[in-house]
Amino acid sequence: MEKRIGVYICACGGNISDYVDIEKVKESITGENAVLLAKTTMFACGDANQKDMDSDIRKNDLNGIVVASCSPKLHLSTFRAVSERAGLNKYNYVHANIREQASWAHSDDKPGATEKAILLVKAAIAKARHASSLEPIKIKSKKSVAVIGAGIAGIKAAQALSAMGDKVYLIEKESKIGGNLLNINRVNPESETGEEIVKRLSKEIENEENITLLTGHRITSGSGNIGDFVLTLKGNNNPGEDNFPEKEINVGSVLVATGFESYSPLTGEYGYGQLPGVVTLAQFNKLLKGQNGMSFVAFGKEVKSVAFIYCVGSREIKGDNKYCSRYCCSAAIQSALDLSERFPDSDIYHLTRGVRSYGKQELLYKEANRRGDLFIQFPDKEPPVIEEKDDKIIIKVKDILSGKRELEAETDIVVLVTGMVPVQDDNTGSIFKLPRGRDKFYNEIHMKLRPVETAIDGVTIAGACQGPKNASESVNSALAAAAKSHSLVSTGELELEPIVAYVDEDKCTWCDECSKACPFNAISVIEMFQKSIARINKSTCKGCGMCLPVCPTDAIELISFTNKEIEDMIDVLSQ
Amino acid sequence: MEKEKINLFFDAMVIGGGIAGGESALNLANNGYKVIIVEKDLSIGGKMIMLSKVFPTLDCSACITTPKVSEISRHNNITIFTESDVNSVVKMGERHFRAEITRRPRYVVAEDCTGCQKCEEACPVIVKDQYQYNLIGRKAAFIPFSIASPKIAAIDIENCTLCGACEKACPSNCIDFTQKALDYVIDIKSVVVATGFKLFDPLKIERYGFGKFKNVLTSMQMERQLAPTRPFNTILRPSDGKVPDKIAYVLCAGSRDDSEGNPICSQICCMYSIKQAQLLMGALPMADITIYYIDIRAFGKGYDEFYEQAKGMGVSFIKGKIGKITKGERGDLTLRYEDVSTGKIKEARHDMVVLSVGVLANDEAVPMFRSNTLLTDPLNYIRQEDPIISPAKTSIEGVFVSGTASGPMDIPDSILSAGAAASQATAYLKRIN
Repeated sequence: MEKRIGVYICACGGNISDYVDIEKVKESITGENAVLLAKTTMFACGDANQKDMDSDIRKNDLNGIVVASCSPKLHLSTFRAVSERAGLNKYNYVHANIREQASWAHSDDKPGATEKAILLVKAAIAKARHASSLEPIKIKSKKSVAVIGAGIAGIKAAQALSAMGDKVYLIEKESKIGGNLLNINRVNPESETGEEIVKRLSKEIENEENITLLTGHRITSGSGNIGDFVLTLKGNNNPGEDNFPEKEINVGSVLVATGFESYSPLTGEYGYGQLPGVVTLAQFNKLLKGQNGMSFVAFGKEVKSVAFIYCVGSREIKGDNKYCSRYCCSAAIQSALDLSERFPDSDIYHLTRGVRSYGKQELLYKEANRRGDLFIQFPDKEPPVIEEKDDKIIIKVKDILSGKRELEAETDIVVLVTGMVPVQDDNTGSIFKLPRGRDKFYNEIHMKLRPVETAIDGVTIAGACQGPKNASESVNSALAAAAKSHSLVSTGELELEPIVAYVDEDKCTWCDECSKACPFNAISVIEMFQKSIARINKSTCKGCGMCLPVCPTDAIELISFTNKEIEDMIDVLSQ
Repeated sequence: MEKEKINLFFDAMVIGGGIAGGESALNLANNGYKVIIVEKDLSIGGKMIMLSKVFPTLDCSACITTPKVSEISRHNNITIFTESDVNSVVKMGERHFRAEITRRPRYVVAEDCTGCQKCEEACPVIVKDQYQYNLIGRKAAFIPFSIASPKIAAIDIENCTLCGACEKACPSNCIDFTQKALDYVIDIKSVVVATGFKLFDPLKIERYGFGKFKNVLTSMQMERQLAPTRPFNTILRPSDGKVPDKIAYVLCAGSRDDSEGNPICSQICCMYSIKQAQLLMGALPMADITIYYIDIRAFGKGYDEFYEQAKGMGVSFIKGKIGKITKGERGDLTLRYEDVSTGKIKEARHDMVVLSVGVLANDEAVPMFRSNTLLTDPLNYIRQEDPIISPAKTSIEGVFVSGTASGPMDIPDSILSAGAAASQATAYLKRIN
């Protein structure tokens, strides 16, 4: 069929047109073989231009579309949807990235950026000439979700999924539910204890028929893909029994809520592990909770003063944990308030790097100030020094708030306000190959557009496994992830991208190279025509193309990225 | 006789068409529920659609918002009323709310307007453009802003002289001065309140000179100067059109301030100021930028790294609260502050000052609810009845809160909160059906 292509070149409100002469790009492609019309637009993604494209496609019977704009990560699906609305199969759409690859990369060289943009658009046109209609791969989806981790995020996600009508397996490796919340004395703003909250949470799920709670279970393997994951579980709460039966579950989506671990201080970090009286925040909370008498007794003496050192294991200058752990400032202040409520005469020092009691948590900070807690801010690169002297702990610290004066204080207990770190035993992450960010927490696809989805289709993330969060923030993310997982399984059917690899059976000699290269275990061997050949599982294949270059007989092609298409694009680019 | 009211039915009504309301509506609609969004403004998209780039990824805000807005406006299960007010919401029974809504006249036939802007060219009236935060003017016949949705004209009848120039210029004959407000009765099963927040009005802090000194701007005005659809196509200071080279940011303008009645932290100002500073370093490589702060609250994913990056780029951070801003020579400004690191009172000269204004509660939704009381917290945010384990739950069963209506939040948190509200509303709808 004769190709009739429409090309739209986006100014991106100046993001592109400040560096790329988009009118020149338009001129240079006008009259290219098969190009019927070429237009420039202020915002290609804007509603007005989308309407314009729609009517152009219908009026001119276009059967190929190119938009030259930002990264396809942002807008490929937007323009595919426009094509589809206009009655054109969406795989006739080709995206050219002239923002990240031209205007932003070459902002110091405007003619060069323009020249590169022209070539990129011409290459996209070359690809569009080959573009053809494709039908999505339709698969059945199991109407069930596996929620991994039964901390506050996992429990709430399970409850929400169940309330929306999905079958849920809630899997927890420990013998009881609640996770890290069990170690927290009081959670602001309602001053409930962590245990009380867990009690309420377990009440919410205890009579839910849709929820199967599997405590004391670990996942030993996982396979399959969106709509049809198979997880093998093993009970681990009976250490004596080696042959504990394995259990297999089959779900349409996996919601990961594996939480966080508290940073554990190094031996000698602020005297930790060397001086009695130096404890972490969680240990301090436990100590305080265990007090029954009129005075605070710990480490064989009466505790009259407590110093909290903030940002231990967070915002590290030398270490790897560059990030802020977000919840600890308010958590430490809450513990201090608990202390002064229980033992009003305690002297309380907060050694901070700037208090981050954001939002309404500011009221806690104000309250601690009102009660007479002393807040000291030490310079980022000059942390406090802890020494022992006659059974007392001496803290030496420089205070920014009083002109960097050096202060010295005696204290009975030093509380290291430890941050959140990713769970060290990354069983779940490695089974599902979940990508991690710079901070080593699991990474979402896009913080604002797709905050609970991962690069692995069908696997969503919730709570602190994605990054530090307090309890209510974890619940928000859990409910949002539940809504997403629900939308994947609720209809029982899913559509997958048809852009997958396929094998030329005549050429294939089965050497196993492709299956070794495949990161998704999508290639297996079958017997056909009296020989062994590679077979690609269309619902597992992601169309990444890793198998193509390793094939010695050139037997594998990728739909929509065939050798011919790529060669034509390269020909244009090398002009 | 009572005017006839149009009766419509939906599963859910979302009050407010900003990013949170839109996200909640989209989630509900994708679960198969019929949703109406009621927006008081001329366009959906809320405050986010007006922003330049967003922290910490520096994505262009329009690039993220426009496709969302487009998806919302095209969704088969979503009906949008812009330029509309919710007059009342009454709970009629276990699974039934009735809302009375007025659609104000736009004086333009929406279906016929092509957004060609000929009326705008013809209109002789110029007034301040609220969508550019009063930096420049607009006409009385106007399209709100270039990426508005719907992108159609409206007549600002308060300022219109009824000269008829727009009517003559309009090629599709869609201007209609006889349009009247339309009244609707809407029957719904649940309500999502996504009314967002208000910005602190800097006129209240007289000592900062906003409104008196032209070169004292709000952060929203700077946001517009940095946006892709910016009014001047570069950064200019308003008094004389000079490109500024010594810009100051005053953090906590109207936040963490008991004397202004807002004791809490606004949660977004540190980060948007750091973002603007980074964008300014890109736009004006020779400019010096100083951020005066009490504490830097860079707490979210990638935020502290973003703060460190700004320091690395050469943005100066001075710990100190600005006491007073006075006028210097040639439009420059003098900032008086206590430099906390030395304990001394100092003065600094800047040629442009940006007030990082804070977030305040928008409690406009409260009086809408007539039969049951929609409770607020002491700071007038919509009260979350069970903030930890059921964050979208309000004092009225079947009414959920989404986004910054319940407290200050940045965009990622608003979107998660909107997803949570949708999930709780979906569960509610499922239960009562």
